[in-house]
Amino acid sequence: MKDIFVLIEHRRGEMRDVSLEMLSGAAKLGGTVVAVLLGKDVDAFADKAAGFADKVLYVNDAMFDNYNSAVYQKALSALIKEHGPGVVLMGNTAQGVDLAPALAVELGASLVTDVTAMEMEGDKPKPTRTFYGGKLDAHFTLKDADLYILTIREATFVAEEPSKSGEIVKVDNPVTEDVPYRKFLEYVEPEVGEVDITQSTLLVGVGRGIREDKNLPVVEELAQAMGADLAASRAVVDAGWLPSDRQVGISGKTVKPKLYLAVGISGAFQHVTGMKGSEVIVAINKDPDAPIFGIADYGIVDDLFKVVPKLVEKVKELKGA
Amino acid sequence: MCAEELDFVEKYDLLGCIQCGRCTGGCPVALRTDLRVRCFMYDTLNEERLEEMSEKPEIWDCTTCYTCAARCPKGLEPLEVLIGLRSLQIEEGKVQPTVRDALESIFKDGNPWGSPRAKRLDWAADLEVKSLEPEAEETTDVLLFICCTDAYDPRVMKAAQALVKVLNAAGVDFGLIGEDESCCGSEVRRLGEEGLFEMCDEENVELLNSYNVNRIVAISPHCYNTLKKEYHGLKHQVLHYTELIAELLEDGKLELPNEIAKVVTYHDPCFLGKQNDIYDEPRYIITRIPGVEFREFDRCRERSLCCEGGGGKMWVESESKEERLAEVRVEDAKEIGAEIIAVACPFCLLTLEDATKVKGVDEEMRVMDILELLAEAL
Amino acid sequence: MNMVVCVKRVPDTADSEVHIDASGKDIDKSRLSFGINECDNYAVEEAIQIKERLEGTVTVISLGNKESDEVIRMALAKGGDEAIRLEDDAFAGGDALAIAKALAAAIKGLEYDVVFTGALTDDDGFAAVPVALAELLGVPHATYVKKVEILEPGKKAKVGRELEGGLMEFLEIDMPCVLGIQTGINEPRYASFKGIKQAAKKEIALKSAADLGLEASDLGEAGSWAVLDSFTPPVVGEMAEILEGEPEETAAKLAAILKEKGLV
Repeated sequence: MKDIFVLIEHRRGEMRDVSLEMLSGAAKLGGTVVAVLLGKDVDAFADKAAGFADKVLYVNDAMFDNYNSAVYQKALSALIKEHGPGVVLMGNTAQGVDLAPALAVELGASLVTDVTAMEMEGDKPKPTRTFYGGKLDAHFTLKDADLYILTIREATFVAEEPSKSGEIVKVDNPVTEDVPYRKFLEYVEPEVGEVDITQSTLLVGVGRGIREDKNLPVVEELAQAMGADLAASRAVVDAGWLPSDRQVGISGKTVKPKLYLAVGISGAFQHVTGMKGSEVIVAINKDPDAPIFGIADYGIVDDLFKVVPKLVEKVKELKGA
Repeated sequence: MCAEELDFVEKYDLLGCIQCGRCTGGCPVALRTDLRVRCFMYDTLNEERLEEMSEKPEIWDCTTCYTCAARCPKGLEPLEVLIGLRSLQIEEGKVQPTVRDALESIFKDGNPWGSPRAKRLDWAADLEVKSLEPEAEETTDVLLFICCTDAYDPRVMKAAQALVKVLNAAGVDFGLIGEDESCCGSEVRRLGEEGLFEMCDEENVELLNSYNVNRIVAISPHCYNTLKKEYHGLKHQVLHYTELIAELLEDGKLELPNEIAKVVTYHDPCFLGKQNDIYDEPRYIITRIPGVEFREFDRCRERSLCCEGGGGKMWVESESKEERLAEVRVEDAKEIGAEIIAVACPFCLLTLEDATKVKGVDEEMRVMDILELLAEAL
Repeated sequence: MNMVVCVKRVPDTADSEVHIDASGKDIDKSRLSFGINECDNYAVEEAIQIKERLEGTVTVISLGNKESDEVIRMALAKGGDEAIRLEDDAFAGGDALAIAKALAAAIKGLEYDVVFTGALTDDDGFAAVPVALAELLGVPHATYVKKVEILEPGKKAKVGRELEGGLMEFLEIDMPCVLGIQTGINEPRYASFKGIKQAAKKEIALKSAADLGLEASDLGEAGSWAVLDSFTPPVVGEMAEILEGEPEETAAKLAAILKEKGLV
C-alpha cells in the first residue's frame, strides 16, 4: 500500500486536535503514515507528531508562519509529486476546505470532503459523509486515481496515546518563489464586549424560569465557566434583564451555535424558531411538559437553581483537568 | 399592479382629511410609540416626501386595528396610508430581516413561521377529522380554515384541537384541507406586500372554491376578515367560529355539563370586534358555561385595547421601550379580579399570555381561547 | 466591476423529515419546498451591494433544470443584470467537480473581476465548488469568506475568512478571483413578489453541455471525483435523552456529555 500523508494543522502556536485524530485514524488503515508539517519553527509539533506517525516531513520556513492556502498548495503539490503517497488526509476545517479541492484539481486526484467514516478497500479509501445537514449518511465510491484526497471532519477519529517514534525528516522548502496573488495579512479576534450572538459557538439561553433579574448571576456564572455567551427569550428582554440584542426568536435573532443550553426556557414556538438550528440543544426546566424537551437532544427535568450551580462546578472541574 | 398606479392623494383621498385628530386621538400605539397617523395624512400630500415618510420606523408600529378609520368623521382609512408607505419599502426590499423571513416563508411554504408545508396537519395527528377533497360529489357543511398560527404553534394549536373536540361533540359535519391550506395573507397585505397578497387571494380563492361545502369557518379573526372582506370571487359564506358555536348553543346542539367556577373576562379582538361588529356571540358563549362569573373590561367592545399582535407586529420589533399594550391589558384584568382572560384570536392569545409572564402573574391568571374553555366544559 | 454569482436551487430540509427514495440514491422530494441555497443568497447580496457602491454588472448563473429559473429571477429582481442557466440531462449525477467544470466552461468566456459562489450547499455540503472552480479557471480563491473589501476595483481585494471560533483570517487577493461566501456576511434584502414578476421579463440564456464545449468525460458521474453508492439513515436517537438523578448526578452526566462532544 502506498503511503498516507496526513497534513498537520496548526495555528498561532497551537496544533489543532484534528491533526492527532487523523494520525491515529490513519494508523489503523494500514500503510505507512507520514505526517506533513509546514510551519516556522514548529519543532515541538514535529516532535508531537512523531509519536503518532511513521515519518514526519517537516518544512521549516518563514513562508509558512501563517496559513495561506496558495502557498500550502504549492508546497504540498511538490511534496506529493516527490514522495508519491496514495492518500492525503487533511482536516475538513476552514483551512482544509480552502485547499483540498484546488489541490485535487491540480493533481488529478479524487476527492471527498467532510468524511465522517472510512475504510480501505485495498489501496482505495471507501468514505462516508453526511448529506442534508447530517440527516443522512452518504456512502461514496471514489473514482480510480493515482491519488485520493479526503478532508476529515473533526472528532471522526479519536486521538489515541502516542505509540510510535517516527523519523523526523527536515525537508527544504520546495516553494522557491513567494505567491503574489494571495497574501496573508493578519488574524483578528472577534470583538470583546460587543457580543453578536448570531456568531457565538456556545450559547446559554435564559428564560422566564429564573424568576427575577437578581437571579441572573447564577446563569451568568455558567456561561462564563463554559466560555459561552448569554442569549435570552423575549420575556427576559421585555423585563429589561438583558439587552434586546440577546433576544433569540421570531422577532429577535436566529442563532446556530454548536451548543444551545436552554435554562428555564419553556420552548415557546416563537423562541424555538430562532434556535432550533443549533447543533446540540440541552434543556434544563422543572416542567416535564415544557415544549423545549421536544426539540432538545438532552434534558434535565429539575429546578435550575439546583442544577446550574452543580453544573458550574462540574464544568470548572473538567476544564481545570 | 396596472399601468396607471393611483397616487397617494387619489388612492387614499388625502384631500378629504380635515386634520381633526380623532385618528391619533384613538390610536392605541400612539400611547407608547412615535406614531402620529394624523401627521402622515398631511405629510403624504406631498409626493416628493413619500420616500422620506416611508423610511420612518414608526410606520411599522401600526397594528392595523382600524380604530383610526372607525373614528374618522370623513370615512377615511389612515391605516391604509401607512400600509401604502410600507409597500414602498417592500418594493425596495428594505424590510427588517424578520419580516423578510416571514414573507419568504409564506411564499415558499404557505405559512410565516418557516415551518414545512408537509407538517401543516401535524396538530391534528391524534384527532378524528375528515379530510376534504376538491370537487367532491358529497357536500360537507363546514370547511374549517385553520390559521397558520393554530396549525404550527404548539401553544395555539391547543385551541384548534379544542375546536375539533367541540365540533365533534356537537355533531357538526366539517372537514379540513390539511397541507393544501396556505396563509390567508392578512398580514401580508398589512405589511405592504401587495403582489404577494394578490397571489394569496387568487390561489386561495381558486382552491377554496373547488371544495363542495356550504360555508367556511375560520378560527382566527384575521383569516375571517380577509376571506370575507378582502378576497375576490370567493363563493362560500365565511363565518368566525364564535358565530358557529353561538348558533350550536342556541339550537341546543352543544351541551356544556362541566362547571368552570372562575372569574372570566373577555378581550375583544380588533379584527373580530371593531372591524366586524362581532361582540355578542363570544359573550353569549362564555356566559353559557356553567360556573363562570363574567366581568367586562372597562375598555371593552369597540374600545377594546389592541393587544399589538396584528398588522405584522408578530414579526416586527418596535423601537419603543415603553410598556407593551398587552401588559397594560393584563394590568386591567388584574384590576377587575379576572382569573381567566378569554380570547378568540391566536395573536391575542400569544401576546397576552406573554404579558402575564412579564408581569409575573402567570401563576394566578390564565389566558385561554374561548375554545379551550368550551373543551373543558364539555 | 463585473461580477458573476453562481446560485443553486436546493430543497429545504432543515425542518423537514428526509426520506430515502426507492433507488436508495436520492430522497423523496415530493413534499419538500425549494429555494435558493442559503450561502448563495448571501453571495447574491454581496455582489449587488458591491454593484451599488462601485457600479458594474452582475451576471447570475445556475446549473439546473427549468425550476431553477425561480431562483435566478429572485437574484435578478434584487439587482442582477444578466442570467445564464446551464441545462443538460447529462449533468445528472455530477458532484462538485462536474459542477465546477460546467461553471468554469460558462464563465471562462466572460469578462469578470470576481466570481461569487456560496461556500457550501445545504443539500450535499461538499464545500468544494468555489475552490475547484478557481483552480479550473486558473485564478486565486478564498472560501468561507465573511468580509469583502474592494481595495482597487478590478485589481485587489481584502478578504476576511471566518475560521473556527469566530477568528478572522484577513488576506489580500488579486482579481480576477473566486470567493466562496459564508452566511452572515451581510443581511440579504427582500425581493418583492412584484419585483420577481418584473424580473421574469428578462431573458435567461440557456446553455447545454455541447454549447459549453464539454466532453462526456466532464459530465455527470464520469466527470466527478466520486460516485454516490447509497444513502442510509444515520444512527441517532430522536427524542431528548432525559438525564436522571439528583442535581449532582445529572449535572455530572451533562458535563461529561458536553466534554465528549468537544463543547467544553
